[in-house]
Amino acid sequence: MSIRQNNSNILMGFLAFSVAFPIIVVFSAWLLPGSELWGHFAENLLPELVSSTLILLLGVGIGVSVLGTVLAYLVVMVEFPGRKWLEWALFLPFAIPAYVLAFVYLGVFDYSGYAQVWLRELTGISGFDIRSGHWAIILTFVLVFYPYVYMMARASFKRQKIQMIEAGKMLGASPFSVFWKISVPLARPAIAAGLLVTLMETLADFGVVSLFNYPTFTTAIYSAWGDFRSIEVAAQLASLLVLVAFLLIYFEKKARGKAKYYSSDVSSIKPYHANGLIGWLLFVFVFGVFMLSFAMPMLQIIIWSFEKFTQEWNPRYFDYLSSTGILTISATVLTVFIATLLALPSRRKSNSKVLQILIRFSTLGYALPGSVMAVGLLYGVQNISLISIYFGGSSINHILFGSVALLLFAYVSRFMAIAFNSTIASSEQIKPMFEQSARLLGASRFRLIKEVYLPMMTPGILAGALLVSVDVMKELPATYLLRPFGWDTLAIRVYELSAEGLYERAAIPALIMVFLGAVIMLLFNKLDRDNN
Amino acid sequence: MLSVSNLSISFDENHVLDDFNLDLQSGDIFALLGDSGSGKSSALRFIAGLESASNGKVALNGNSLSLNGNHSVKPELREIGMVFQDYALFPHMTVFQNISFGIDYLSKNEKIERVQTLLELISLQGIEKKYPHQLSGGEQQRVSLARSLATSPKLLLLDEPFSSLDKSHRDQLVQEVRVILKNAGVTSILVTHDESEAEAFADRVGVIHKKKLLIK
Repeated sequence: MSIRQNNSNILMGFLAFSVAFPIIVVFSAWLLPGSELWGHFAENLLPELVSSTLILLLGVGIGVSVLGTVLAYLVVMVEFPGRKWLEWALFLPFAIPAYVLAFVYLGVFDYSGYAQVWLRELTGISGFDIRSGHWAIILTFVLVFYPYVYMMARASFKRQKIQMIEAGKMLGASPFSVFWKISVPLARPAIAAGLLVTLMETLADFGVVSLFNYPTFTTAIYSAWGDFRSIEVAAQLASLLVLVAFLLIYFEKKARGKAKYYSSDVSSIKPYHANGLIGWLLFVFVFGVFMLSFAMPMLQIIIWSFEKFTQEWNPRYFDYLSSTGILTISATVLTVFIATLLALPSRRKSNSKVLQILIRFSTLGYALPGSVMAVGLLYGVQNISLISIYFGGSSINHILFGSVALLLFAYVSRFMAIAFNSTIASSEQIKPMFEQSARLLGASRFRLIKEVYLPMMTPGILAGALLVSVDVMKELPATYLLRPFGWDTLAIRVYELSAEGLYERAAIPALIMVFLGAVIMLLFNKLDRDNN
Repeated sequence: MLSVSNLSISFDENHVLDDFNLDLQSGDIFALLGDSGSGKSSALRFIAGLESASNGKVALNGNSLSLNGNHSVKPELREIGMVFQDYALFPHMTVFQNISFGIDYLSKNEKIERVQTLLELISLQGIEKKYPHQLSGGEQQRVSLARSLATSPKLLLLDEPFSSLDKSHRDQLVQEVRVILKNAGVTSILVTHDESEAEAFADRVGVIHKKKLLIK
């Protein structure tokens, strides 16, 4: 093994460790003797936590699978009025963070929201609490996260051979039977992948569940840390969350199987044409989903922002903007820089088994909820301090707790996978002949990277940067726990206002955030189109 | 039995087929020969109800299926079978499930019996539980044929079914399929660009030449 390869192993090892660190730390919490507090949690809260988390995952899972798959099938396989623009419009909910949609719905449908007030005046029935029960929160999650399944299923339906569907038709199968027996089974791996992302996001969510007062692992973790000041119990709960996440990955792998049913040709022929009334009914359905998940919430945010602007806007917003900007930019630059190093072709083709495993591991962070990341880091730092004190040293708590460094560390490990996937995709297109010809022309390794690799990887690097920056900007759970004093971001402001029920005012930071996110996504789209 | 009249096909303003007329008697095996882009596949797909045309009429056993280039009966209700160039077997289903796809309304025993008969017909007994990717190209094409015959279609359309196979297998399969179709008495139309294949397969051969159909 060359020295260079050793270096990359060390670098990779460090990165893999940075992701593994929070996981190892939260599991290590079990090594301590059982505490009284854990006993209290286990006895009184755990059964409810488990059952409500399961109901949530089940409801959201069924909801997004059905809605995402049906929508994707309609826009790919059926020609109906408005199909063309709706196909793209259905992606727009990606621009709205889950907790923003949640507070808008709460603001409208809550006891004092105008929907209920209007209903009470109209019918005279007494008000109800939409937070109670499971339906409202499941519906909210479904409307936020269906685009994941929609996106994956749509790509899969597009790659299905038109002949499969025609063969079904010629054998007498009805449109529904073609959908259910041919298209859906063929798209199963893609649907499962979209479902996995959705369930992971649901599991990791902090904003929506806490606004709805819905008990899940995440809320319990925050309660253990915030209300009971017990980082051990928070870590123990976090480790259970990691277990559930790993279980989900395992089930998805099983559901996906080895099957690959794709053809390479993307057909633009629509096998079904819905004319007349049925066409318009389909339009109303798809348009309705678009309205509920994007257009109406956006409109509501804009209206509230205008109404409450004078009341909410103050110079502190410049601080929120600058914190958000500084954190987003530095986390993005760091993440993308490391991802690029990892994805350079010379590292990639190394055949070291260890290296490959390390790379795999260091990109697992996306599967880790931000709360686990945060609790793991806090608990880890505290343990290092205890060890340090034991050996006569001093605590490092005051240096790291509430430091920008710790927060950036959390962002980098959590979002590394997105940047890495994007950079590696562009790096894989660099054929060995480029390296060989550059070398034969006498280029040094430095020149090779600077003048050959980096220019060719630029689209991937930029795309990775844009995706990471959107995610960092709206990140809530890790920011909430780890942010340094005075470093409130727009996301934090949205959360704090809506947690107090000040939904109208929360619309202002939310609108700024959605606007910035939309600008970034537009850039990404343009970049994507230029590359194609 | 089958009557196609006044069929005209255009691709984006480009006229490829003009006033195509064809009449088949029950049990006829007909081959439609033409270069790529001659509109022969489109003619077949129009008869199947999968594509519309600028003009044309299709009637099967006296029942009108299409009129003025538009379809009045959906493909799934036409009782027409189709064999595709790349077989189009459903990759997620076994041979049994593929063949019995169109006869789902039968009872389980009836389905087993029917699939058994069809597998005998194509001389591929005992492969019910295999998946398409475990079969050779020739085997897949024969299963695909069995699948379209399972529903006892009134008319069978074959869209270049042999073109993905290599020459040595092709000649043999062309003969086999002809015998199977003759024995079953199925009225069939084969679309191909290979003249010898057309001659070997069909009772009658039509050629698309300068947008017109010429019957040999």
